[in-house]
Amino acid sequence: MKVLIIEDDEDGAAFLANGIAERGHEADVACNGRDGLMMATGPQRYDVVIVDRLLPELDGLSLVKAMRAAGSAIPALFLTSLSGIDARVEGLEAGGDDYLVKPFAFTELMARVTALARRPTLGAEPTVLIVGDLEMDLIRRTVKRGGQAIDLQPREFQLLEFLMRSEGRVVTRSMLLEKVWSFHFDPQTNIVETHISRLRAKVDRGQATPLIHTLRGAGYTLRAPN
Amino acid sequence: MPQTRLFRTSSFRLAAIYLALFTVSVLILGAVVYAVVHTQIATEIDQDIEGESAALTKEYFAHGLGRLEALIATRGRSFAYGLVDAGGKLTAGELAAPRGAAGWTYLREPEGDEPIGEGAIDVRALVTRLDDGGALVVADEWRGARGPTHALLSAFAWALAATLVLGTIGGVLLSSQALRRIEAMRGAAQAIVAGDWRRRIPETGADDELDHLARTFNLMFDRIESLLEAHKAVGAAVAHDLRRPLTRMAQRLETQLGREATRPDTAAALEAAIADIHAVLATFNAILRIGQIESGARRAGFREVDLAAVARDIVEAFQPAAEEEGKSLTADLDEALPLSGDRELLTQMVANVVDNALRHTPSGTHIVVASARRDGGGRLTVSDDGPGAPGAERQRIFERFFRLDAARSKPGDGLGLSVVAAIAELHGMACAAEDNAPGLRIVFDLQN
Repeated sequence: MKVLIIEDDEDGAAFLANGIAERGHEADVACNGRDGLMMATGPQRYDVVIVDRLLPELDGLSLVKAMRAAGSAIPALFLTSLSGIDARVEGLEAGGDDYLVKPFAFTELMARVTALARRPTLGAEPTVLIVGDLEMDLIRRTVKRGGQAIDLQPREFQLLEFLMRSEGRVVTRSMLLEKVWSFHFDPQTNIVETHISRLRAKVDRGQATPLIHTLRGAGYTLRAPN
Repeated sequence: MPQTRLFRTSSFRLAAIYLALFTVSVLILGAVVYAVVHTQIATEIDQDIEGESAALTKEYFAHGLGRLEALIATRGRSFAYGLVDAGGKLTAGELAAPRGAAGWTYLREPEGDEPIGEGAIDVRALVTRLDDGGALVVADEWRGARGPTHALLSAFAWALAATLVLGTIGGVLLSSQALRRIEAMRGAAQAIVAGDWRRRIPETGADDELDHLARTFNLMFDRIESLLEAHKAVGAAVAHDLRRPLTRMAQRLETQLGREATRPDTAAALEAAIADIHAVLATFNAILRIGQIESGARRAGFREVDLAAVARDIVEAFQPAAEEEGKSLTADLDEALPLSGDRELLTQMVANVVDNALRHTPSGTHIVVASARRDGGGRLTVSDDGPGAPGAERQRIFERFFRLDAARSKPGDGLGLSVVAAIAELHGMACAAEDNAPGLRIVFDLQN
């Protein structure tokens, strides 16, 4: 995976670049909006662009708009300072694909970048999701494991669907809160944990190989045994 | 405005005092004028009687009794006469003098043939003794003096009535105008108390003392607002400026954590330090968020939202967690609570309250989120039967960084309910903490 970081805070950019490199990916850094746009639309193919909202020369919003206008479909993740509370909506409207409010844990950023990089290209939407012996029919809203039907609440279905679509990737608490519950804040109560544990009870209990895994300090992942 | 309020204004009271003073002066003036006029008329009547009496006596001494009788018979009606002989018998005229009477006296004049009774009136009379033992009586009707004095009295009575009526009308007008301006001031002040810091007291442009007062108050509000802004800005500036170094600190620790993964002790310490930094950052973010909510910028994106539906989602999301802790969380949200608002913020508002109820109550607590109609709008309540909060502290739970004594040892930054209060205020909702006896009840009143 090749990531372009467009960020004027050099320390922050270096921290991100190092972190990404340590996880075996490549990262380039641009320190202002103009350079960033040139690199993003240049010959080098990036899998994800991380764009700070506040940039010298060309701000993040205009940069992504210009990228999209130039025909670039590279997924873009905005980094925003909280001082723009409507930043997320604006960012998404400008053509961004995700946003992250500073400060964030690096694992959170990594999980989101990975999710963006592996986003399926637009095409035929699958009607059935399959991970190992777990099968989800999106039309009939049914779930089976090893041929055995599993009865899920609507929210549990949504949760499982998101995990299955993110198969093999790390899904963080706040990603789940956003995508499953549309909560853009982190409640003190462990609502994700309790829902996951209920889902686990239905999907993994009594099975030889669990599919839902907890990654301490990072989040969850759903993957079939190798 | 209600009538009783009008009469209780200071300007009306002032007008009433002035009216009373005017009434008393009109009364005194009337009394003085009446006394002067009355005396003057009485004096003139006496002089007329004296003159007539002297003229007749002169005729009597010159020409005798017969001449006097003839004169009395032919004199006009401007005076009343009487001539009595030594035996007290009336020989001419109609007024008999009582025996032995002499000089000024009051007599009762018979009216026509009527005997002297209720209809009789007093007349001023001068009795002159004649040298034959008889007496001459000359009198003038007081009736003549009564005319002008009566007219005077009724004029004053009218003037008094006019004073009372005009004074009352003036008082009402004066006080209602003053009251209207005072009401405008009060309305503005109340709006400011309610948090609308941009409101100011309107000035009429009359440049009178009320305008001066309004201007002074407005200057005071300007000052308070700028102080408040400065106060908030300090918090926000500290939070804002400290975020960057803290973020960097957390990033360095995270980098270090990656390298120390093989040494569990160091790794655990680093993780704890990172968690602490994130907690501080979360507090800073909450401070900044409250500031942003209070700025009202989000009003621009308000849409129709059903607060009951939002609350239902929250209950559904929190239910498993509540059950895990041995508490029950139930919804009684059949009554829709439509309002114009920001769904995301409203979600956080309800979530924070439910979060709060879950974190500060023991296992076995029942938490109910309910919607209801009330006069003038809807109501959302989140009630629990937990330990609740003592009365004095209960009123303060929406304050920033306020925490109940019982909750100090628990995690949390004391900002959750401040965020709730800010969101409620942004939506024009009144939120209050009440005693659920037992437990705590947070009430949101929507305005229609």
